[in-house]
Amino acid sequence: MADDDFEVDDVADEFDDVEDDDNIELEQPEDEAENFDLVPPGEATGGVQKSKRITTHYMTKYERARILGTRALQISMCAPVMVELEGETDPLQIAMKELKQRKIPIIIRRFLPDNSYEDWGIDELVIIDH
Amino acid sequence: MVKELYRETDLAKKISHVRFGIDSRHQMKLQAHLHVVASSLYSQDYHLPITNGLLDRRMGICTNATACGTCQKNLSECIGHFGYIDLELPVFHVGYFRSIINILQTICKKCSCVLLDSSDKQKFLARILKPDLCYLSKKVLRKEILKKVQKCTLCPHCGELNGTVKKGGLLKIAHMKYRNKKPTDSLVLDKLAEFDDAIENNEELESLVRSGLTTFLNPLECLGLLERIPARDIPLLLMNPDCGLPKDLILTRIPVPPISIRPTVASDMKAGTNEDNLTMKLSEILFLNDTIRHHRQRGVKMTMYNDAWEFLQLHCALYVNSEMSGIPLKMQPKKTGRGLVQRLKGKQGRFRGNLSGKRVDFSSRTVISPDPNLRIEQVGVPIHIAKVLTYPERVNGINIEHLRRLVLNGPDAHPGANYVVDGRTRVRKFLKYGDRRRAALELRYGDTVERHLCDDDVVLFNRQPSLHKLSIMAHKAKVLQDRTFRFNECVCTPYNADFDGDEMNLHLPQTEEARAEALVLMSDKANLVTPRNGELVIAATQDFVTGAYLLTQKDAFFNKAQACQLIGQILCGEDACTTIQLPPPAICKPMVLWTGKQLFGLMIRPNPKCPIKANLRAKGKAYTSGEELCINDSYVIIRNSELLAGSMDKSSLGSGSKQNIFYVLLRDWGEDASTRVMWRLARVASYYLMNRGFSIGIGDVRPGQSLLRAKQELLERGYAKCNELIERMDEGKLASQPGCSAEETLEAMILKELSVIRDHAGKICLKELHPSNSPLVMALSGSKGSFINISQMIACVGQQAINGRRVPNGFEARALPHFAKRDKLPAARGFVESSFYSGLSPTEFFFHTMAGREGLVDTAVKTAETGYMQRRLVKSLEDLCLHYDMTVRNSVGDIVQELYGGDAMDPSYMEGKDCPVDYRRVLEDVRARNAWPDEEPLDGPSIDKATAELLQSSEYDCLSREFKDEITLFLRSTAVRVAKMRQNLNKPGHEAPVYRHVERLTVSQLVDFIHTCKEKYMRARIEPGTAVGALAAQSIGEPGTQMTLKTFHFAGVASMNITQGVPRIKEIINASAKISTPIITAHLENDRDPEFARRVKGRIEKTSLGEITACMTEVVGPRNCYLRLRIDAERVKLLKLEVNIHTVAQSVCGSKLKIPEKAVEVNARRQTLTVYPDRMDSRLNLSQLLAVLKEQLPRVTVKGIASVTRAVIHSDDSTAGGYKLFVEGDDLREVMATRGVLGRRCTSNNTIEVFKTLGIEAARATIMKEIKLVMENHGMSIDRRHPMLVADLMTSRGEVLGITRQGLSKMKESVLNLASFEKTADHLFDAAFYGQTDAICGVSESIIMGIPVPVGTGLFKLLHKADKDPVKPRPLLFDR
Repeated sequence: MADDDFEVDDVADEFDDVEDDDNIELEQPEDEAENFDLVPPGEATGGVQKSKRITTHYMTKYERARILGTRALQISMCAPVMVELEGETDPLQIAMKELKQRKIPIIIRRFLPDNSYEDWGIDELVIIDH
Repeated sequence: MVKELYRETDLAKKISHVRFGIDSRHQMKLQAHLHVVASSLYSQDYHLPITNGLLDRRMGICTNATACGTCQKNLSECIGHFGYIDLELPVFHVGYFRSIINILQTICKKCSCVLLDSSDKQKFLARILKPDLCYLSKKVLRKEILKKVQKCTLCPHCGELNGTVKKGGLLKIAHMKYRNKKPTDSLVLDKLAEFDDAIENNEELESLVRSGLTTFLNPLECLGLLERIPARDIPLLLMNPDCGLPKDLILTRIPVPPISIRPTVASDMKAGTNEDNLTMKLSEILFLNDTIRHHRQRGVKMTMYNDAWEFLQLHCALYVNSEMSGIPLKMQPKKTGRGLVQRLKGKQGRFRGNLSGKRVDFSSRTVISPDPNLRIEQVGVPIHIAKVLTYPERVNGINIEHLRRLVLNGPDAHPGANYVVDGRTRVRKFLKYGDRRRAALELRYGDTVERHLCDDDVVLFNRQPSLHKLSIMAHKAKVLQDRTFRFNECVCTPYNADFDGDEMNLHLPQTEEARAEALVLMSDKANLVTPRNGELVIAATQDFVTGAYLLTQKDAFFNKAQACQLIGQILCGEDACTTIQLPPPAICKPMVLWTGKQLFGLMIRPNPKCPIKANLRAKGKAYTSGEELCINDSYVIIRNSELLAGSMDKSSLGSGSKQNIFYVLLRDWGEDASTRVMWRLARVASYYLMNRGFSIGIGDVRPGQSLLRAKQELLERGYAKCNELIERMDEGKLASQPGCSAEETLEAMILKELSVIRDHAGKICLKELHPSNSPLVMALSGSKGSFINISQMIACVGQQAINGRRVPNGFEARALPHFAKRDKLPAARGFVESSFYSGLSPTEFFFHTMAGREGLVDTAVKTAETGYMQRRLVKSLEDLCLHYDMTVRNSVGDIVQELYGGDAMDPSYMEGKDCPVDYRRVLEDVRARNAWPDEEPLDGPSIDKATAELLQSSEYDCLSREFKDEITLFLRSTAVRVAKMRQNLNKPGHEAPVYRHVERLTVSQLVDFIHTCKEKYMRARIEPGTAVGALAAQSIGEPGTQMTLKTFHFAGVASMNITQGVPRIKEIINASAKISTPIITAHLENDRDPEFARRVKGRIEKTSLGEITACMTEVVGPRNCYLRLRIDAERVKLLKLEVNIHTVAQSVCGSKLKIPEKAVEVNARRQTLTVYPDRMDSRLNLSQLLAVLKEQLPRVTVKGIASVTRAVIHSDDSTAGGYKLFVEGDDLREVMATRGVLGRRCTSNNTIEVFKTLGIEAARATIMKEIKLVMENHGMSIDRRHPMLVADLMTSRGEVLGITRQGLSKMKESVLNLASFEKTADHLFDAAFYGQTDAICGVSESIIMGIPVPVGTGLFKLLHKADKDPVKPRPLLFDR
C-alpha cells in the first residue's frame, strides 16, 4: 500500500509540474496546496454575513437539546426567568416553556467545516416539535 | 485612575493538542525529583523505605500513613513524582529498537550522514518540511527514503563502504558491511587478512573467520553514531528535532515512575509487603547497574562484563515490554510480570479499560422485572436505590421551599437529601447527623442540595451488550417499593431484555445540561424508531399482542358492565380524568353489546373531543384476499381511530413493521400520542387476559385422532418419496442438478422433501386444532412461537439439520450405530418423526441433541465474532458526522459523502420504502380526516392541473425535484384511477351525481395532501450534527448478532452455495482479497438459447486434458517411447467445447510442461495426440520423464480460464431474464472478455477483484450491493444509506480499505485513536519517533482526554445574546 501512496504522490507531482511551467517556484513542485487552496483548510475564520448564510433554517434536535440544557442550568443558577411561571419548578420545564415562546437570549454559532461560522438567533429558527 | 486589567478568575483550560516525543537524558532529570541509586527497597530496620531507593517517599506515597516527601500532600491529593536511574552503560530501548535499526540503515556507519546525495536530500527535504505534512505521508516518506538508501553502498559524503544492517538476535544489531562484495574483492580480502595472525595461533578459528565480516554494533557504538548525525539530516529520518533526537532513542537514563502507579501492598496474612512488578524490575536494573560498576572497578574479564551488560539490556527491555519473544532459555525470567506496555494494551489496559471507558458514580444495577402499569417512558426504581443516587440541585428562588422540605427529611426518609454543599465555602454537610432543621433554614441561593432521586427525574437505563444506541435510553424515574428495576414490556425489544434474571444499569445524570440532552435526545420516546430501517422497535409485545388479538376477534362481545370495566383501565395516572364516551353498542337486541373492536377504537380516541384521528389499512399475518372481507378477518382498517375491520396482530401492533397503528400514531400525531396508546393497550390487554384467562396445559398439545392420522399419512407419503429417490439413485436414474454429483443431488432432494413435512404438519395442526387452543392463538397473533413450534410439540419434530445438511456420519458410514451402514433412510439421517408430546426415541433424541449442540456452539462463537466486528466498525466510523454544509466528514475534515445518502434524508423518517412519505397512506389519511362535504370532487385532469399549479408555488421551493416528481407521479396515478372510475360508472345517459363521489378528492384535500407531504419531507431531512457513522456501524453490527453464523444459502441454484451471514459480512468489510466463495454473474449476449449458454460455459469453465481424453497409452518401444492420448470427440461435442485436436496440441505446447512443438504429433483422423518426452531435460532419465508426463498431461488446461473451476447455467424462469452464467472464480477480467458474455453486465461479489477490474466506483457499488444482499437473505431490512456510508468510507481513499487494523491506520491520523484500537504500544512508540502531534478532534481522542466530542451537541457553540444594539461605527472626521 505504501507503494500505492507513492504513486499517487508522484502523479500529483507530474500534474503540478505541467501547471507550474511558468511559475517561479519550480523548485517545489510538491506544493500542490498553494495552487488552488487560497484559504488553507480549516483556516477560514470569521462570521458569515446574515444574508449569505447557507445552513438549515430548522433548529436541529441537538441545538434544541443543548439550548434547553444551557438555559436550564442558567435558570437553576438563579438567572431571571423570561416567561410567566405557572407553578413549574423544574428548570428544564421552564426552559422548554421559554423556548416555546422564543424568549431564550442565546445565539447559536454554527461552525462550518472551513472554520467560518454562522450566527443564528433562536427567533430566526423554525422549531419542529418532534 | 488606570483601569484595572480584567482577569478571568476561574480559568478553564482546554487541552488543545497532545504531542508525542522522546525525553532526552536531560529532560528526564528535570522532571525527576531524585536520583535513585539504592537497589534495596527498605533499610535494615525494615519499615522505612531507604532514601534514594525505589520506594523513597519523595516519589509519592501509597498509604495514608505519611505525607508525600515532596509535596507534603496526602494520598488522595499527591499525584506522585518521578525519579531517575542512571545506567552504567547505554542500552537499546525495546520500543525503539526497530527505529534504531532503520536509522542505522539510513546513515553512514562512519560519518553518520544520511546516505543520500545532496540533490536527493534537497528533494526529500522539500517534501518533508511542508508544514501540513500528514502522519500517513510521513510514514510513506520514511519508507521511500529507506528504500532509496538501501540501494546505496558507498557513502556519498565520506566514501565509506556501507552494508546492510539487520537485527542479529535478541536486541542485537548486525552490520554486514561486506555482504554486497564478492568474496574475492580486495576489500574483503584485506579485512580477512586482519585475522591471519589469529588463525596462525589457533587453527580452529579458520572456519569461523568469515563471520568476522559481520560486525555487531553495541549500544555504545550506536549511541556514538546517532549522536553524530548532523542536525540538518535529522528531518530526513522523519524525526522532529523538537520532540526528540536520534540519540535519545538509546537509553542512558531511566525515569522511575511515581509510587502511586506501582503501589506497595501490605499483606495481612504474612509479614512483609508485596511490591509491584515495576518496582521489582527497577530494583533488578539497579542491581545489575551496581554489578557493572563493580566489574568495571575490579577490571573483570570482558565476557563477564558483556554478560552483565546483556542482562542489563534484557531487563531494561522487559521493564518496558515483559512479553518479548526470543529470549534465550538461560536468560528467561522466572515469572513474567506486567511491563509498561502490558499496562497500556488490551481490553483491561489503560487505553481501553480506563481511558476510553471510565468508571462512574451515581450508577446502580439490579435485576429487572416487567410492569405493564408503568408508562412507556417510565422506569421503576427501588426506593433503596433512590435514596443512594442523588442529584445536586442548586437552590434558587423557585425551588428553595421544596429543597428545604427535602433537607428536613434527611437521608433516611425517601424524598429527602443526603448532603448540603455550601455555595461559597464548598463545605459538604452530611444530613444524617446534626440539626437538619437548621440546615434547612440556613439554605441560601447558590447552595447545592444533593437530593434523592425522585419521580420524573431523568435517568439513563442500559443493558449490556450495548450494541446500538437504543441500548441506553433515558427514562423518567418512578420510585417504587421492592428491589427490582421495572419497566413496561414494550421497551424490552430495544434492550433485547427478558426477565429470566437479566440485570440492567441505571445512571443518574448530574447536571442540568446532561438531563436536558438525555431527555431530548435519548429518551425512549424520542427513540421509538430504530435508525436501522425506520421501523418501530418499541411497540406492543407478547401478551399485549395476544390480548389485543383476542379482544378484536369477531366473536368478542361485552355487555355494558364488562365494556366499561375493561375500557376503564385506561383511566389511570395522567389519563385519570379523561372522559370516555362509549359509542353506540354494536348489538342492541336481545341485549346491548359492544364489540372488542369498538373498545380498541376507544383506546386510541376515548372521546370525540380527542383530536387524534388515525387511519390505517394493513394486511395482517393471515390475510387471504378480498380486503376487509378476508375470511380470516385479517385486513385491518382503522378509520379516524375506529377499528372497522380486522383483528389486530403482530404486524399491526408489534415492532418491526411500518404498517402499524403505533407507527401511524407516531408519524401523524407525535410520540406522546403513540406511547400513550401503547400504554393504554398494555393495561387493557393485560387486564383482559387476566380476566379471560390464558394459559397452556398438556391438553393444548395433545393431538387428536384425525391429526395423528393426517400426520401418519403425511409421513408415509414423505417416506415413500424418499425411498423412491433412493431407489432411483441406486439404479443410476437420478438426474443430477447442475454442478452436483448424484449423491449430492439425492441429499439435497431428500432434505427438501423432509423439511417440508414439518411445515405441512404445522398446517395440519392449524386446521385440526380448536381456535381457542392457546399455542395456536399465540402463533396466529404472532405474539410468540410459530406454526413450526406448534407442529414440533404436537405432531412431528422434523428433520434435524447440522450445517444445513442431514446428520453426517459420526461412525463408520452411518450416523449412529443403531442403523445399517450406508443407510439413507430418513430415520437414519436425523429425521425425528415423534413430537415432543409423544416423546422421542433414543436415536431421535441423539439427533436432536446434535442439532441442539450446534445451536449452542453457534451462539457462543457468534457473540465473540460479531462483538469484534462491531468494535471495528464503530472504531472506524465513529467520527463521521454530518456537518452544517450537509457533507459527511471525518474528524479531520476529509469528505466521505457530499450529501448524506445522496439525498440528505434521515433513515429513521422513511415512512415508505426509501421515501419519506407513504403517499397512499397519506392520501387516505387526508381524505378520511377531512371530508370537506361542501366541496365538489375533482375529476382526473383537474387533479393533474391542480397538482402542477400547487407545486409551482413558492411554498414548495424547498422540496427537491425528485420529490416533486414523485408526488406528481403518484397524483397522476390517482387522477387516472378517478378518470377510469367515472368512465366506468357514468354510462351515457346515467350520470348520477353520486358517481362523482367515488374515489372522491377535493381541492382542499389535495392542498392538504401536498402540504402534509412537504411537512413530512422537511421533517425527514437529516439534521446537521448527526453521528451518521456511528449509526451506520451500529445498524450493520447489531443485526449481525442476530444472524446465525454458519448459513449457506443461494437463491435459485441449490448447487452453488455462497457464504452468508456473519462470515460474509466480515469478508466484505475486511475487504479480503481471497473470499471463500467468489462468484461472477455473467449475462449472455443471447440469453434465450441454452445451446449458446452451454457454449459460453465451455469457454469459461476450465477443462483439463484429462477430462476429454478417452484413453492414454504409454508406449515404450525399442527406439522410442511416447504417450498417446485419444480425445473423446463425443464428449467434446456433448460439452459443447470449442476445442479440436489442434487446439489441444497448442495448449499442451503452451502449458507449463515446456513441451516443444516438435515433440507433439497430431493425428486428426484418429483424434490422437502423441507426446514424446523431451530429452533436453537431463536431470531425469527417460522413464522418469515419461512418468512425469503421464501425471502432468491430464492436468493441462485445454479450454477455459484456469482459475475457474465451475460455471453453472442458471435459467431465470420468473423474470424474462432467460439464461445467465454463475461462474465460480475470481478472474472477472477474463470472464468479461470472454466471447458471448455481455461484459457490461458482469458482476462479481469479490470487491477487490471488481476494484482491480472496474475501478473504485464499481467496488463501492459492490460493497453496498453485497451487504444489502446478505442482510436481505437473513430477513433483515436495513436502510440503504448505512451500507452506502460504510462503502463510501472504505473507498474514500481511492483504494478499497478494509475495516481492519491495517485499513484503520490508513484512515485515521490520530495516534490516540489508533492506540486505543489495536497495537497500542507500536502506535505510541511510532508516534514518539515521528514527534507526532494529536489534534484531539476525533471521538476516541476526545473521550480519552475528557473533552466534549465535536459531534451532535458539540458541533456548535452557544453565545449570549446581548440586548444591546450593535455599536454603530461613527463616521470618521475626514470622511464627512
